[in-house]
Amino acid sequence: MKIKAMTGNTTAAIAASLCRPDLIAAYPITPQSSVAEYLSELVHSGELQTNYVTTESEHSVMSVIQGAACAGGRTFTATSGQGLALMYEPYFQMSTMRLPMVMAIVTREMISPCTVWSGQQDAMSVRDAGWLQVYVENNQEIMDMIIQGYMITEHEDVLIPINVCYDGFYLSHLVEGVDVPSQKEVDAFLPPVHFNHAILDPDNPMAVDSLTSGEVLTRYRKGHLEAMVKTLDVIEEVDKKFAKSFGRSYGGAIEEYKCDDADIVLVAIGGMTGTARDAVDMARDKGIKAGLIKLRFVRPFPTDRIANALKGKKAFAVVDRSVCFGWNAGPMYTEVRAALINGDDKYSHFSAIGGLGGADISIKHMTSVIEKLESVKSKPGQHDTLWLMKEF
Amino acid sequence: MNYIEKLRTSEDMVTPGMSACQGCCGELVLRRILQISGKNTIVCVPPGCMSGAGVVGWDYQTGMKIPVHIPLLTNTASFLSGVSQMYQRKGRGDVNMIAVAGDGATADGGFQSLSGAAERNEKMLYVCYDNEGYMNTGFQRSSTTTKGSRTSTTPIGEAINGKQQPSKYVALIMSMHALQYCATASPSHMQDMVAKVERGLAESKKGFAFIHVIAPCPTGWSFEPDMSIQIAKKAVASNMFPLWEKYNGNYYITVENKKPIPVKEFLQSMGKYKSLTDDDIAQIQKEADTKYETLKKLASE
Repeated sequence: MKIKAMTGNTTAAIAASLCRPDLIAAYPITPQSSVAEYLSELVHSGELQTNYVTTESEHSVMSVIQGAACAGGRTFTATSGQGLALMYEPYFQMSTMRLPMVMAIVTREMISPCTVWSGQQDAMSVRDAGWLQVYVENNQEIMDMIIQGYMITEHEDVLIPINVCYDGFYLSHLVEGVDVPSQKEVDAFLPPVHFNHAILDPDNPMAVDSLTSGEVLTRYRKGHLEAMVKTLDVIEEVDKKFAKSFGRSYGGAIEEYKCDDADIVLVAIGGMTGTARDAVDMARDKGIKAGLIKLRFVRPFPTDRIANALKGKKAFAVVDRSVCFGWNAGPMYTEVRAALINGDDKYSHFSAIGGLGGADISIKHMTSVIEKLESVKSKPGQHDTLWLMKEF
Repeated sequence: MNYIEKLRTSEDMVTPGMSACQGCCGELVLRRILQISGKNTIVCVPPGCMSGAGVVGWDYQTGMKIPVHIPLLTNTASFLSGVSQMYQRKGRGDVNMIAVAGDGATADGGFQSLSGAAERNEKMLYVCYDNEGYMNTGFQRSSTTTKGSRTSTTPIGEAINGKQQPSKYVALIMSMHALQYCATASPSHMQDMVAKVERGLAESKKGFAFIHVIAPCPTGWSFEPDMSIQIAKKAVASNMFPLWEKYNGNYYITVENKKPIPVKEFLQSMGKYKSLTDDDIAQIQKEADTKYETLKKLASE
């Protein structure tokens, strides 16, 4: 065990290199760039034996990776915001070809107005592109989920690529202590990649992506959706295996914090969860029965676990670092409500939105969410969206 | 073995039951290239006439005897870069990596990834069959469509008469990358084309090889299907499509054109240039002459 002080981006690069990828393709974009830089250093120093391809765009990043995956390779990349948007075309195809890979999304706000700072709008906007998505809280979790990510994505019941999403700047550029596993430990945990359903090989000629009729395509989609459901079990299984090898568990698709006896529950996602944890602790000190759900996996959406965690509670609020256009709410709020479709009228609930374009989500903001929950907890139904902003 | 004997004795890799139009030069080019490359080949055919005609496959059936994939219109060269890199890594650099793409996938949306792969000198042979437009979707103009052409997005009109801009000279642009091999070819000059495909495949083991093939299209260009080869021949003879190659840093004109025919003979042999005025034709003649002079200068260095 070796604790090192590292930024999130360095952590991601080291985690990827520990997984022995055959090929990495990358293109620099703020706030991801230092991932690409650090990987370059590892390759140029000879520490990392991978085919490293520095392309002319993110569109080509995902395309080069897709080609390598179609030759059976383990691959990695990281991107952000506009880069992810440019990548969308091969991004969607990566998941619908059911090619496993891990891609970090260093989450960033989407333009316009012009911004390069944090927010989860980029990753949230592609949550229906067929990938798995996990959102992490700190640099240690970046390390651990990239390693777990390969085990999940390459699992024979899954074969769906995964995004490990972490907050731009807040995690990507801030330094924390990270327990870095040894190469030997990771090798013992992670078996070599093997899949053969979509492979270009003259020894076993196959047409990959022939023109497909609607009837057959529907079967592909059905299989993809069913694999997403199975993935929920694989996530829990891999979390347990990881805990056994490395001594850290994240609770699977969601983590519940002080929920057992809680009346009111905050739902948070990504780096803001740390702040929410502190706000819950402070509320508890004041005698408020507050709890926290850390939403980790967004795809597949852990419907049952959320419904169970909220069972018997009086009120909940979901804090989103992105918006859901057309709903006057955040996207995770709409999805948590959908998970409670058989009875969200019993709860008092509202959406809270903050931290857009790099704006801070402070302890005061989280406390204001808890205070509002307290004040509405005996008035079931939807309450107005709470915007976590400074007063102008 | 001479080229006729080679083509006579080598196996056709493409399904006999494809739905290309009669007289399609794209189909001819695809079949001949893959006959030469043989079974130890991975081929990518992006959206366009060839993939639309069923050479990739349909549902659970494949359209080829070799591994084939339809990448995106925009990423053929980068997708194949990834496949190629993995094969180098596995110690199987002997496998031929071939792209057979139309002019839209090459010169328009796919140009960025093509230029990127050439700049990285990725090991592959990229062949463009240029029928000068989006023929698969109904003859819309592309950036290789020649000036004066009638297409469905540059129609003949009272105000605007056909395409107003000359074509982008993709082969010459590609040759300015530090790539391994670059050439133009025509199905009317099969001996020349076979030699270039063979050289391109050999060079693709060392880096990026690009061959730009003219592919006259009876359906889109409006001529009788049995005239395709004649039209291609006239394109070469009139210097509308000169045949040359570049390797080891040098340009060579491979089919010398000592007495070029007037471009008028080429232009008047099909419907797509039907409404050109004498002034238009004079302008196109001038552009063809200039293009050939430029190539001669490059080849004389």
